[in-house]
Amino acid sequence: MHAGIIFFLVILGSVLFHIFTPWYWTDIASNWKSMDDTITLTFWVGGGVFVAVCLFMVYCVFKFSYKEDRKAEYKPEDKKLERILTWATTLGVAALLAPGLIVWNQYVNVPKNAIEIDVMAWQWGWQYRLPGEDKKLGTTQVQNINDNNPFGINLDDPYGKDDVLIQSDVINLKNNRPVKILLRSVDVLHNWYVPQFRAKMDAVPGVVTYYWFEPNKIGEYEVLCAEYCGVGHYAMRGGVIVQDEQEYNQWLGEQETFSELIAKQKVIEFKEKRLVKK
Amino acid sequence: MSEDFNNNKTIQAQSSETISGGGAGVTPDMDYVRPAEIPDQDLYHGHSFITKWVFCQDAKVIGVQYFLTAVFTGIIGLILSWLMRLQLGFPGLAGFMTAEHYYQFVTMHGMIMVVYFLTALFLGGFGNYLIPLMVGARDMVFPYVNMVSYWMFFVAVGVLMASFFVPGGPTGSGWTLYPPQAILEGTPGSGMGILLMLISLSLFVIGFTMGGLNYLITVLQARTRGMTLMRMPLTVWGIFTATVLAMLAFPALLVSSIMMTLDKVLGTSFFMPTILKAGEVLEYGGGSPILFQHLFWFFGHPEVYIVALPAFGIVSDLISVHSRKNIFGYRMMVWAIVGIGALSFFVWAHHMYVSGMNPWFGFFFATTTLIIAVPTAMKVYNWILTLWRGNIRLNTVMLWCLGFIVTFVNGGITGIFLGNVTVDVPLSDTYFVIAHFHMVMGIAPLMVIMGAVYHWFPLVAGRMLDEGLGKWHFWLTFLGAYSIYFPMHYLGFIGVPRRYFEMYDSPYMTSAVGMNEFISLAAFIVGAAQFILIYNIIKSLKEGERAGKNPWKANSLEWFTSTVPPEHGNFGDRLPVVHRWPYDYSVPGSKEDFMPQTTPPSAVVDTEVEKT
Amino acid sequence: MSEQKIVDYEFKPGFKGMAKDTGSDQTMFKGVHWGKAMMWIFLLSDTFVFSCFLISYMKGRASTPVEWPNPSEVFALDAFGVPVPLLLIAIMTFVLITSSGTMALAVKYGYERNRKMCGWLVLATAIGGLTFVGMQAFEWSKLIHEGVRPWENPFGAPQFGSFFFMITGFHGTHVSIGVIFLFIYAYKVFAGHYDEQKRGWFTTMKGDYVEIEILGLYWHFVDLVWVFIFAFFYLW
Repeated sequence: MHAGIIFFLVILGSVLFHIFTPWYWTDIASNWKSMDDTITLTFWVGGGVFVAVCLFMVYCVFKFSYKEDRKAEYKPEDKKLERILTWATTLGVAALLAPGLIVWNQYVNVPKNAIEIDVMAWQWGWQYRLPGEDKKLGTTQVQNINDNNPFGINLDDPYGKDDVLIQSDVINLKNNRPVKILLRSVDVLHNWYVPQFRAKMDAVPGVVTYYWFEPNKIGEYEVLCAEYCGVGHYAMRGGVIVQDEQEYNQWLGEQETFSELIAKQKVIEFKEKRLVKK
Repeated sequence: MSEDFNNNKTIQAQSSETISGGGAGVTPDMDYVRPAEIPDQDLYHGHSFITKWVFCQDAKVIGVQYFLTAVFTGIIGLILSWLMRLQLGFPGLAGFMTAEHYYQFVTMHGMIMVVYFLTALFLGGFGNYLIPLMVGARDMVFPYVNMVSYWMFFVAVGVLMASFFVPGGPTGSGWTLYPPQAILEGTPGSGMGILLMLISLSLFVIGFTMGGLNYLITVLQARTRGMTLMRMPLTVWGIFTATVLAMLAFPALLVSSIMMTLDKVLGTSFFMPTILKAGEVLEYGGGSPILFQHLFWFFGHPEVYIVALPAFGIVSDLISVHSRKNIFGYRMMVWAIVGIGALSFFVWAHHMYVSGMNPWFGFFFATTTLIIAVPTAMKVYNWILTLWRGNIRLNTVMLWCLGFIVTFVNGGITGIFLGNVTVDVPLSDTYFVIAHFHMVMGIAPLMVIMGAVYHWFPLVAGRMLDEGLGKWHFWLTFLGAYSIYFPMHYLGFIGVPRRYFEMYDSPYMTSAVGMNEFISLAAFIVGAAQFILIYNIIKSLKEGERAGKNPWKANSLEWFTSTVPPEHGNFGDRLPVVHRWPYDYSVPGSKEDFMPQTTPPSAVVDTEVEKT
Repeated sequence: MSEQKIVDYEFKPGFKGMAKDTGSDQTMFKGVHWGKAMMWIFLLSDTFVFSCFLISYMKGRASTPVEWPNPSEVFALDAFGVPVPLLLIAIMTFVLITSSGTMALAVKYGYERNRKMCGWLVLATAIGGLTFVGMQAFEWSKLIHEGVRPWENPFGAPQFGSFFFMITGFHGTHVSIGVIFLFIYAYKVFAGHYDEQKRGWFTTMKGDYVEIEILGLYWHFVDLVWVFIFAFFYLW
């Protein structure tokens, strides 16, 4: 009997914990409210099943606990009941799966007007690259990476010249404009994750992976690495600043392009050579 | 050597048992069971201490050896989890704890618990002990290979433990051992540690293959007379199916281990793309890290069911015995076990939704994953419907079963979150995942293991375990474990990522400091509570109440051995002959509320037993 | 376990009958020796091992950025000054498949309790296997001489060397293990262990000619795997 009461309290406690918990989602700051909705749906259906099954179990414990003079029912099978339960479960599962697949379809299809951002990850840090006026990112190669070419852009690629380089772990985004995050890594697996945006994807060395979202709340957010990448994993943080269009354009104008970087380096080299000659 | 064999064992009756007694409706051949197809197994009986207890060929001794070795590694895994929780709940309290150590503890805890503790315990421990007894065999079919299997496992554990003492320490690459980081600098133990881990896993696979062949052939080809497949206890079905999964899934682990070892030692580039490290391009190039993930999870997902299916089987038997009622929907249960096993080979990439594989795979794997939920749900319904209108003994064993149902349903439902591709995106790589898999494949199978220990200890040792201590053990473990993992889901909702050594003052974590402290305290208590069991076992071995034969009034064959505990050869001179399934409890018209599998139909003609 | 007879078991007709036979008491595979059933299941597991290797190979070959070398050039052998593509490999395959034939004959003579013929044929199989391993060693040393290594390859993608050495090495290990057992079994046949039902050295199980068949299953499997490796490495 006591056992039944304690199990009942555990179920009750779980429900109360959920209602009164101070720990829950961070306020969403992107278009992926549909993900939250699918979670909520799964939560109510699943939670309902959990409570129902456990309460039925508690009921059985109260009602049918051992008595010397009672004999249990003998009924090996009940085909009808089993069939009903199978179909009900199948329907429930299908109802959970369908919205999931619909939202996933949105997740893998990137809107056309999305701004591409090249997110480059290494142990342990981030840097970003935006397309220049040609709206296209230049191709890259790990072998090209050096002090003069921190992103490894192929020098013979004309699209690469006007790319905007942001050698900082903080990136600014335009509010209400979809972004396509192109992830690449130069060493091990990483994952560029902002809890408020909900979305995430691993950065895999050797390939470029992608995902997209549309920030819709102005503010500053913390970027976390969400795929274990060695001892510095927990310290691999970055930042995102979501701004309105005007501030964003102003910020963008202050950033350096690849050709500017090359030019600057040439000047430095020239000065150094002169220094050596003197 | 010939004196070691008793070849003069009575040859089994060549015709059916003679019928004694004559109630109404007894016909001469109603008890007919086909004569033996297979000759009696000739067994090697050890005489010296070494052949009897060390290099022993008796499956029961091997089972206990597996059990003890697995528990030993499990205790090490437990201590590692304490150290991790110490860091997470009270950062900086343990002065020696560096990020390197933390990640090494995380990795070793995971690998030990999944492979060396749970898998070895269920298949090696319970499988060896119970399969021959439950199907009515004298021993496993290849006792010598079975012995080698255990010692292979022993060496694998030895190699694993050795990695704690090599320069650089054990590997700290997470239990998934993802390349490239697993074998690159910047990950703790990327030298000797990871090598020893891979070698140990390969040895484990080889050793397990030997044991697995034994379990399969014993079930397929060495059952006693009358023991049809559909009369086997669900425990055997669970262990059998899990072994099939293991035989087909471990190859992927072996292959990925071999390939990664070559990447590490010879510098091949199976999993290694071009990598820039500390300003220099390494001599790797052209490999695919995602290939490893596919291989690993092709092993890893069936592995989940390798742990879960034996637990499903065992808990079905325990619930049925202790609620004095037949298991509800036996055939459905069998097909659910087999179906889950088969489906588990088609769902592996649900661990990889955000791994950077082609995102279109998501549709397929989300669908297959959610299909698995249906047979799993059926099993849950059948467990609670077995309780319904039963006559439930609320002893320690039953408490563990009830604890299993609560934790398993909880963990199963959070599994639907993670299997449904969209819902997985925000939750993957957060504490929600940790909470989910600990609940569903940590705590739930552990509940079954504990229940099974309390259930079968009287058979193994001949003495009962103390009920009072058992109840303390249960409530501390169940309530403690539930209060660790239930709130932990909410850390995942916040977005706290897993495998973080510390959070600094991140907004995600500062709000949850109190919860982390609470979880850590609960973890210390739950861990400590396990020592109640060890004390209980030692105490009961010395002064426990004598169990006698069949203390639980169960039906299955393991309780009908010639002696308790069973001797080598299990059943004395004659093997039992089976006439019914093991779940004839509380049959209307019968005097007792149980009807052993060996009861011939002529002895119970007045009852309304259903033909099985 | 030497003699297994199915006592008055009648197989039932139809699909339902098949299900009934499968689930019937005592054994699922009627009259099948335990060791033989074990070997079948082991081979199923081993099939998965080789499948994982070969699928990894396909994936590796498909995704490597450097071009894959042309097998008919790499594996060509100079015969009388003319490079003949796949010459060595053709001989190797021929030898291995012939050894499968001798193995099958050995099994036949074993069941006929023809000790001498069985022994000679097992020995012939062993020698065939040994020849295969020898030729493979020759091929390896030729490739190594030409500069192919597990981590690099002068003809193209370094993964070619990695996969080639790993998979043929793994297969070669299987063949070598088979050869060792074939020699042991040949000795056991000649010494009459199977006629006298002498107990094994370690396993203490009674000897029986069925062991030859079990080893034969393994040998045919190793052969079959070679056909796949041949197709994937040399013909693709």
